[in-house]
Amino acid sequence: EFTKVAADPSIVNLGQGLPDISPPSYVKEELAKVAAVDRLNQYTRGFGHPSLVKALSQVYEQVCGRKIDPLTDILVTVGAYGSLFSTIQALIEEGDEVIIIEPFYDCYEPMVKMAGAKPVFIPLRCKNDGNSASSADWVLDPAELASKFNSKTKAIILNTPHNPIGKVFTQEELQVIADLCIKHDTLCISDEVYEWLVYKGNKHIKIATLPGMWERTVTIGSAGKTYSVTGWKLGWSIGPEYLIKHLQVVHQNTLYTCPTPLQEALAQAFWIDYKRMDDPDCYFYSLSRELESKRDRMAQLLKEAGLKPVVPDGGYFMIVDVSTLNVDLSDVDEKQPYDYKFVKWMIASKKLSAIPLSAFCGPETKKQFEKYIRFCFIKKDSTLDAAEVILKNWNKQTG
Amino acid sequence: KAPNSLSFSLQAKMSRPVQARRLEGIDKNIWVEFVKLAATYSKVNLGQGFPDFPAPGFLTEAFTRALGGGNHMLHQYTRAFGHPPLVKVLAQFFEKLLGRDLDPMTNVMVTVGAYQALFCCFQALVDEGDEVIIIEPFFDCYEPMVKMAGGTPVFVPLRPNPPKDGKLMSSADWQLDPAELASKFSERTKAIVLNSPNNPLGKVFSRGELGLIAELCVKHDVLCISDEVYEWLVYDGKQHIRIASLQGMWDRTVIVGSAGKTFSATGWKVGWVVGPNRLLQHLRTVHQNSVYHCATIAQEAVAQGFQRELMLYGKPESYFVQLPKELQQKRDWLVQSLDGVGMKPIVPEGTYFLVADISQFKSDVPDVPNSDEPYDYRFAKWMVKNKGLAAIPLSAFYSEGHKNNYTNFIRFCFAKEEATLKAANDILQKWKQEKTSS
Repeated sequence: EFTKVAADPSIVNLGQGLPDISPPSYVKEELAKVAAVDRLNQYTRGFGHPSLVKALSQVYEQVCGRKIDPLTDILVTVGAYGSLFSTIQALIEEGDEVIIIEPFYDCYEPMVKMAGAKPVFIPLRCKNDGNSASSADWVLDPAELASKFNSKTKAIILNTPHNPIGKVFTQEELQVIADLCIKHDTLCISDEVYEWLVYKGNKHIKIATLPGMWERTVTIGSAGKTYSVTGWKLGWSIGPEYLIKHLQVVHQNTLYTCPTPLQEALAQAFWIDYKRMDDPDCYFYSLSRELESKRDRMAQLLKEAGLKPVVPDGGYFMIVDVSTLNVDLSDVDEKQPYDYKFVKWMIASKKLSAIPLSAFCGPETKKQFEKYIRFCFIKKDSTLDAAEVILKNWNKQTG
Repeated sequence: KAPNSLSFSLQAKMSRPVQARRLEGIDKNIWVEFVKLAATYSKVNLGQGFPDFPAPGFLTEAFTRALGGGNHMLHQYTRAFGHPPLVKVLAQFFEKLLGRDLDPMTNVMVTVGAYQALFCCFQALVDEGDEVIIIEPFFDCYEPMVKMAGGTPVFVPLRPNPPKDGKLMSSADWQLDPAELASKFSERTKAIVLNSPNNPLGKVFSRGELGLIAELCVKHDVLCISDEVYEWLVYDGKQHIRIASLQGMWDRTVIVGSAGKTFSATGWKVGWVVGPNRLLQHLRTVHQNSVYHCATIAQEAVAQGFQRELMLYGKPESYFVQLPKELQQKRDWLVQSLDGVGMKPIVPEGTYFLVADISQFKSDVPDVPNSDEPYDYRFAKWMVKNKGLAAIPLSAFYSEGHKNNYTNFIRFCFAKEEATLKAANDILQKWKQEKTSS
């Protein structure tokens, strides 16, 4: 429902998670080149265009430090969304339980339900008594997490770096999850679409690289997030053959093959960056540097306006505690959570949009998160300039 | 935890069954095998259905123009249920064709190829215990998709009625038996899948035949999933009739279409559904929980392609006039080729596929009694490995239980350059000579 706001040009849209910055020029150029090649307008290999799966296997072999077979260990899908769908349809069924960490990217719950399984929620909790300055303050309680695992637990969905909080799970935190997966013979579906967007002092760690985890993890990635091309809708699942083969069966019975020209262009872009993975100019690192300064600018502006941002260690979202402003919305429809009401009020009166955090929660935790809203900061300077004007004038108009 | 048990499980895969039951019986796929064979052995590939001639210039130019236009937001998400320019022009186009008003936001949805449109249809409309009627031979994905949705496929065959005057058979000679068709409808029947023009036979269902199906749908309150991806590829002045335009059918039909087939760009994977909102709303639910958005840039280019065709509709420069004209020539060429060597082609009224009877031509590939592989599979595999000519066995398009009903037919794709068809002819001629001289 919030994407309709995007159509209104008078509103500064920091809600929906899509870049309004340009993808790197070489990425656009590669796509322009492929249009001229006839055979690239026809069907390619169903499980992934050969040059793309080859490039992905090279990049991820480098990152994971293990051999990855491009034909059996990788499936290319329509966005990471398609990978989540294929993984869940392939491996989850009626009677299964799937652990979902709240807040969560909103599609996990309906996808688990569509597979006939039961979502079991566990919230990230702020360890500083509600006073959070950083995404690192949000943690899982290990005992609480352990209590969610039982014999019916088929999988846990992990999202690191995390949308919406921006948390980058540490080695220790991943080890706690891994220990439980191994103990309970559970799968791990690891949504790592923001894997390259980690800020100074943080490191993205792949849970699949922890001992005992490769054989029970499907790791999901996204071209849209890697190259700022969300409209290309290409993603991938990487894992051991005996798991990926079931995802391939789902894929061959749902859409069969992904678009060829986009896969070829993506492969070429990957080769360019693969060759410079030791170079700081590699887009995998330069994008996160670019975003870090936007993150810092955004956080500063929000603080000056009297809001309390939770500075993310990764990703391109920032959650903000709006309760400090004490905006009284009690006369508005009470059935809606506070954050929904706040966002609607903010859109109407400040012409600034965001997403209410309770959209990312299960029914039990909506109350816990209803004082937060989510901003997206992968925006060009002029968008952030417009946001700055609104935020600087905020206090002049409140009341 | 005992150190021993921990180190054992470090090596271990999941020890319990890992895949979901919905994958049972749908893991085999003919294309995975035959596409690999063609890639490895074929010199001339008339197997998988895609053109080896280029997509039309106006379409690829639209793609390039969109990229060069400086609007980099075309690289970002568009509207999930279809890029606005595309759904608008599809609505305009189909309004003309169906003779009714269409709302681009609710009567049209864009999908990742017609394949994903079909998936959305079955997932949205078929439930456990539902029966779905499938006409054989059929595009192979219908059966596993029905099964994955928990439905039961019920098959009814097109039966060949050979012409008595010794002329070549036409796809029109393959017909449903009305009584047999009627007997397949029960109170569990949720939907029937219609594919006209039909892959693999090339049959273009007549108004009378469609009327028969429509009557039964209305009588039994059954939905119709109408796969019309080859709607523009009809020959000999025949007309493609849309079943949704028949009495009582609009409200119970979902029409599936394909930019890949319409514009000879199968690799773009842009498809659509057109239908009443009461059905499409459920397809939207499936779509938003499976892929959500389709790639933007291809939708933008296809929209421009359709805008051009809307302006040129019915004129000789229209791609929808030129393409079938070109393909009809290629069809006739291939018919001649096959007839010339003793393979008996069934002349298709539509699509770019042609099925040929190889019973007089199969001496090189002996029958193996009690083989678990149908004869035509073995023939097609032998042919690609030994003659370098790729085609698809007809039993690939039959259900498991009926794969041995028609084992002397193979399907050729003729959406190929003249040079390719010539090369195929050379292989066939050489092969014939080898047979007669040996």
